[in-house]
Amino acid sequence: MDLFLQQLVNGLSLGALYALIAVGYTVVYGIVQLINFAHGEIFMVGAFGAYTTWMLMGAPASLSVGIALGVVLPAMLLGGIVTSVTVALLMERLAYRPLRSAPRLAPLISAIGISIALQEAVRLFYGRIPGFPDSRRAIPFPVIEGITGRTVQFGGLTIQYSALFTLGALAVCTVLLWWFVNKTRMGRAMQATSQDADTSRLMGINVDRAIATAFAVGAALAAVAGLAHGLRYNNIDPLMGFLSGLKAFTAAVLGGIGNINGAVVGGLTLGVVEAMATTFIPGQFGSSAWKDVWAFVLLILVLVFRPQGLLGAKVVDRA
Amino acid sequence: MNRPAFLASFERFAAPGRLVALVGTALLLAAPMLPWAYRPALDDMTFWFAPSPLQWCGLALTVVLLACLVLGWVVRPQGRRSLGRRLNFNRGARAAAIALLAFVAVVLVASALELAGLVALEPGGWLALAGAMLAASGVLTLPRGEEPTLRTLRSPAWLQILGIVLALAFVLFVAAYGLDLDDPGAFFSFGVWAGVVVWVAAQVGLLGWLSTAAGQNRSVLVLSAFVVAFVFPFTQNGSDANMSIAAGVLIFAATAMGLNIVVGLAGLLDLGYIAFLGAGAFTAAVLSESAFATIGWSPPFPIVVLISGCVSALLGLLIGSPTLRVSGDYLAIVTLAFGEIFRISMNNLDGTDGPNLTRGSNGIPAIPNLDFFGFDFGSPHDIFGITIGRFANYYWLLLLVMGLIILVFTNLNRSRIGRGWVAIREDERAAEAMGVNTFGLKLLAFAGGAFLAGVAGSVKAHVDVSVTPDQYIFLESAFLVAGIVLGGMGTVGGVLVGATVLKLLPEKLRFFEDYRLLTFGLLLVVMMRFRPEGLMPDERRQLEFHDDDEELADEVADDVAAHRVGSVVEGTSAEPGSGATAKGDHR
Repeated sequence: MDLFLQQLVNGLSLGALYALIAVGYTVVYGIVQLINFAHGEIFMVGAFGAYTTWMLMGAPASLSVGIALGVVLPAMLLGGIVTSVTVALLMERLAYRPLRSAPRLAPLISAIGISIALQEAVRLFYGRIPGFPDSRRAIPFPVIEGITGRTVQFGGLTIQYSALFTLGALAVCTVLLWWFVNKTRMGRAMQATSQDADTSRLMGINVDRAIATAFAVGAALAAVAGLAHGLRYNNIDPLMGFLSGLKAFTAAVLGGIGNINGAVVGGLTLGVVEAMATTFIPGQFGSSAWKDVWAFVLLILVLVFRPQGLLGAKVVDRA
Repeated sequence: MNRPAFLASFERFAAPGRLVALVGTALLLAAPMLPWAYRPALDDMTFWFAPSPLQWCGLALTVVLLACLVLGWVVRPQGRRSLGRRLNFNRGARAAAIALLAFVAVVLVASALELAGLVALEPGGWLALAGAMLAASGVLTLPRGEEPTLRTLRSPAWLQILGIVLALAFVLFVAAYGLDLDDPGAFFSFGVWAGVVVWVAAQVGLLGWLSTAAGQNRSVLVLSAFVVAFVFPFTQNGSDANMSIAAGVLIFAATAMGLNIVVGLAGLLDLGYIAFLGAGAFTAAVLSESAFATIGWSPPFPIVVLISGCVSALLGLLIGSPTLRVSGDYLAIVTLAFGEIFRISMNNLDGTDGPNLTRGSNGIPAIPNLDFFGFDFGSPHDIFGITIGRFANYYWLLLLVMGLIILVFTNLNRSRIGRGWVAIREDERAAEAMGVNTFGLKLLAFAGGAFLAGVAGSVKAHVDVSVTPDQYIFLESAFLVAGIVLGGMGTVGGVLVGATVLKLLPEKLRFFEDYRLLTFGLLLVVMMRFRPEGLMPDERRQLEFHDDDEELADEVADDVAAHRVGSVVEGTSAEPGSGATAKGDHR
């Protein structure tokens, strides 16, 4: 039973990471019916943005807990968010907006191109900035006093602080996002645009800006996930967005793509399924080498039996 | 094509402009006689009165420019059927001059980079640059005139066939000569030159005529293209190095052609296609007589090919049947996920994490060469005194596979099934409403494409000798898609060109290797933005991406109508002069 609870906690914290990224897929898909294939790279860029901020602050090591949590961590978060949002907005403006009326294969292929280009740009050029580490290998993530390496014992369970950080970040982001989408003018403009872009435009909504906002919101959450990823795994690398992005997309589909709550539920479910699969599937197929396979098998099963996802958002098909 | 208004005002100066261009041409004719650099760089351009091969290329282009300039001056566009109207020499001259400038600039920059810098260039290089600049500025004043209408010209069959043969001979020359260039700068310059020649031909109108000729003599085209490809190993003087590249290109192109059915015809974006190639390769490896094969059964190769294809097709059905029911976007990601599942599984089936089938990341090495009725693919053979090495043997086998895939592709394309696919690609709902069995056809495209990839994979296993999981990663799938997009989705020629370019360039431009992926990524984005239909699209496809282009729409409508009655009255659609008037009637 302890093992089950421990894996549940591990799964939830892993799932929170997926959920934060998945929201980006779902928000963008909800508004323009586009799978933003490069979203995983936005997540990666966010992590590198956070790391860059830390380097620009003079790479402060071993500070007091107060300064680390009160100054350094928020600054890194902000830096990551600014980087991600900037890249996402540029990407939307340069690569997606011109293709909005093109056949739907075009933006998808464009997205693959951006994804590869962003990975390679970071891999090749990040390490060339004087004083920055070689980005061709994984870069060790900074130690944040008070989080890195610390755990809390709760009954028989061991919970890492980084896991708590991820779960907490997900909770805060979900509330903020709910408020933004339902209570602000821009949020409601986004909702209107996702229902009917043409009518929204007639009603005086700046559709272009609503779509750009959707990209920005997704990117901000991805940056939070990037920081959480760094804290959890203690390193970042330019290729980390590929697999995480794929998993997050799976989470979004699992919850029902286009549905923000669905992305959160889907992410948590996926994390738990992955954690449980490595523990409770007997024999060789239960080893951790297979956990990614089980996640993708889950994706395919969902598409067979419940294509609209767990929370049942209507699958909009405007092919 | 819009051209800036200020350029039109230049046309007053057409006469002096032509003179300036002629002066530039004269300089360009003289320049190859002088040395361009003081040490051999791209090739040996250091001699007086002895042009190097690259200088000869420039010279050939200069002659074309000269011919265009003079002919454009002498032959006036009088009358609808005159040669002056049929061929647009001014456009040709413009293209040739601008391209010459690019060619000279590329050669000079590449030489300067390889030598000490600009000081290493001799007067001949500067003379060529000056001449090219003069010529380019001169041709800007020439009136552009109308689009050449050569494609509607009726010409005797022997002339058409001669044109096709000459064009293919050019292709053979480019392939044989280009592959022999070891120096990356020289290869790049030569590539630029070859592209320039094609562009100039397109601008003059010759390419239009060639495509009409090719359309009317399809069997001649196919036969001679096959002959050219077949003859290619004989141009290599027994060297197998280039043949190994050529075999690699063929495998890539054949796989891309299979994917072209899925993406180009049916419009289903498959991002895990490489997994089907891998499934075929692993099946063939496991069933081979390799000492490392994990199944002790090795049937003869033709049976292995069938099994490989069927295994891949089965996987295709497995992935396709759930995902093809939902919107197409899902397919892209699910196939991507499938590609990952495949790679991870092949890595894990190593005996510790799963049953031992593929020996994990080590893969299955030492796959023996094929042996057909005593013809050993692994050992060299002498034909007509020219040694045909191991890769050349496989090259011919791959040519057969390629031919098979192209045959399947073209026949399906022109069948009821192919029309169903195109309908699905253009508008799935409309197709369904018209009674097209969308799900069945999509599944057929998906599984059929997978089958062909499996067949290609089974040959690839023997060519590569070993099969490992890391050959079948997502990036390879992305390259395949890139090759299709680059050339033109849904076409045979375009995809062949795209795949060849994508596979050949990295082989030759090794210094460029670091930036290869970055360039491909950006290339995809730029292509989608500015030319989503690819370099050599078919018109119908072009229309899908530019649905506000009415002129194009009329042309396509004409073509469709011509095809429908074409078999009865061959060539009537090519009524002289129908281009201008018929279009007007349609509006």
